[in-house]
Amino acid sequence: MTTLAQNKKPKNDDSANSATVIETKALCRHFGQGDTLVKALTNANLTIERGEFTAIIGPSGSGKSTLLQLIGGLDSPTSGDVLLDNRHISQMTGSELSDFRRDHIGFIFQAYNLIPVLSAKENIEYIMLLQGISAHERAKRVTTIMHAVGLEGLEDRRPAELSGGQQQRVAVARAMVSEPSIILADEPTANLDSKTGIELLDMMKTLNEQQNMTFVFSTHDPKIMERAKRIIRLVDGCVVDDERRN
Amino acid sequence: MTNNNASHNENTATAIVTRLAKRSIFRNTRRTLLTVLLISCSLVAILFTDAFVRGMVSTMVKISTQTFLGEAQIHHQGFRATNDIDLYIENTRNVYAKIADTETIKAYAPRVISGAMTSSSDNVASAIIYGVDGHKEAKVSKLKQAMVEGDYLSGKESEILLGQRLAELLEVSLGDRLVVTVSQAHGGDLSQALFRVSGLFSFNERNMDNGMAFINLSQAQQLLNISGVHEIALRLQNLQQADDKSLPLWQTFNTETLETLSWQELVPQLSSMLAMTEYSTLVVSIILYVLVCLGLINTMFMSIFERQTEFGILLAIGTRPKQLFIQILLEGFFIGLLSVTLGLLLAYIVCYWGANVGIDYTDLEMTGMTLNEPIYLIVDITSFIKMALATLLVTVLACLYPAAHAARLQPSFAMRKTL
Ligand SMILES: Nc1ncnc2c1ncn2[C@@H]1O[C@H](COP(=O)(O)OP(=O)(O)O)[C@@H](O)[C@H]1O
Ligand SMILES: [Mg+2]
Repeated sequence: MTTLAQNKKPKNDDSANSATVIETKALCRHFGQGDTLVKALTNANLTIERGEFTAIIGPSGSGKSTLLQLIGGLDSPTSGDVLLDNRHISQMTGSELSDFRRDHIGFIFQAYNLIPVLSAKENIEYIMLLQGISAHERAKRVTTIMHAVGLEGLEDRRPAELSGGQQQRVAVARAMVSEPSIILADEPTANLDSKTGIELLDMMKTLNEQQNMTFVFSTHDPKIMERAKRIIRLVDGCVVDDERRN
Repeated sequence: MTNNNASHNENTATAIVTRLAKRSIFRNTRRTLLTVLLISCSLVAILFTDAFVRGMVSTMVKISTQTFLGEAQIHHQGFRATNDIDLYIENTRNVYAKIADTETIKAYAPRVISGAMTSSSDNVASAIIYGVDGHKEAKVSKLKQAMVEGDYLSGKESEILLGQRLAELLEVSLGDRLVVTVSQAHGGDLSQALFRVSGLFSFNERNMDNGMAFINLSQAQQLLNISGVHEIALRLQNLQQADDKSLPLWQTFNTETLETLSWQELVPQLSSMLAMTEYSTLVVSIILYVLVCLGLINTMFMSIFERQTEFGILLAIGTRPKQLFIQILLEGFFIGLLSVTLGLLLAYIVCYWGANVGIDYTDLEMTGMTLNEPIYLIVDITSFIKMALATLLVTVLACLYPAAHAARLQPSFAMRKTL
């Protein structure tokens, strides 16, 4: 009763049954044109299953952020298609896309994830407030998730009063609390020292295992990438390797 | 739980957007404070201008009606257009009786008016001679208070009061002799009389002080050979009655032979000048509103540029562009609300002082009229509220552009720092 997985809304049951959460088809993203043309992503065909813990790795400029932006509906592809929960997100526009992101995708960014004027608890509540979830339900979920990310007692702190690691934990909590189909994290540990980064990743992995939450994160840190169960390697915008480990 | 879901959804979303807006304006306290000061000072300037213009208008009207004009005047039909001394009000006794019966008229002053030649032993000057009843005149005009030398009219033969400048022109002083020459009514024979300067007056108004002389009414009637008067200046119970054409007095004293006009109609230049002064409030307001707009747009853009990453995150995690748009408008609204509150408070202090102490412009002559009384600010609550609301509206409107900009931000800004 206390785990988030058990609070799943009916609409997510479809995706729970069909194992595929994300599918990209011949996904390309180019910037500029002519001499300044940058092929940030070329012909990416990926399928991500429910409950996977996937790392996208590659050197800086290899297209990791571009790929995550396209999957998350923050950017439109030059060509190709993204299906999330079997819906073509590249065809959605405006507030339809906003609402889709709100209800289906959790985001964690490298830094400055949190709204400085809101407390940790309010940051976590934010998406639930947009969704119109009742106060009672919100309070219940916040308590559960604060416990899960190990931040009990820090509910009323503003981001500036939290350490970098704590801030990222709040970001993880915010991404998870609305029970999305997938969590996309763009170099979530890049601004943390390596010990804190590893702790954060271990925590994400635990949540992935306990609650079957799907994670896709990017990194170029070898210590982080070795914790992933699947590694997708990008070089110059091309998927050069896709390896599942156990 | 699902029944009210949609409206509940809107409510909690609006609540969080409002909370964000409220807290955001206190993020850069100094910038917000400076903006609030800019807006509130502009509002104070607008409110002050409004109160000042109202005070000035009222002072000017008061001065011109109370100095000599009266709130209204009765003439024979056609007298004003022609200045023909033959067109005088004949059955004065009858008119006076009706005036006594009219409640709105507090006092009246009959006058005989004629152009005249005044000659002293040294000099000659043209002047307008007024024959007045000293006692009645004192109840309508400020002639008695304007005396600077000698004595006011007592009703005795050959008394004459001269404007100070006219006396200088004629090089006469108290007790000196003066010959007044006029052309009589009914035919225009010249008629002369000898006077002794009994007093000098100054209204602090050039045209009056160098072109007017006062003698006793009966002697003026004799001199011009008329039995009536040319003008009856009326002092009404209050100024507003001059605007109220429904009052019976206007019917009673506008007949086939009588013409009665209010001060606005008597001095149309004055009322059109007053209209222009009121227009100046509008101009001042528009200029200040434009400044407020530009200042606020600048502030909001600075604040939005600083928060681009944050807005990118808000958009990325599912905030609708419309909600961000509303957040920025609300920030403008709250800044406006603070500014208007502060502005009204400051304006209250300034206007309270200005309404009680008054602003002294005694030395300044405007279009030939001297403001020989200080201007007391007049606060019009309705117009204060209107302008405060207008300021609030302007602050929100000024935020439309920055808000639209914020709503168009790309959510990928959230990842820019990651690039
Ligand atoms: N908005 C953009 N405009 C132009 N070029 C871009 C833009 N975003 C990314 N790029 C380019 O695309 C390539 C991939 O970038 P990115 O996905 O950020 O790489 P990574 O996240 O792996 O460091 C880089 O060469 C980058 O310069
Ligand atoms: Mg990147």
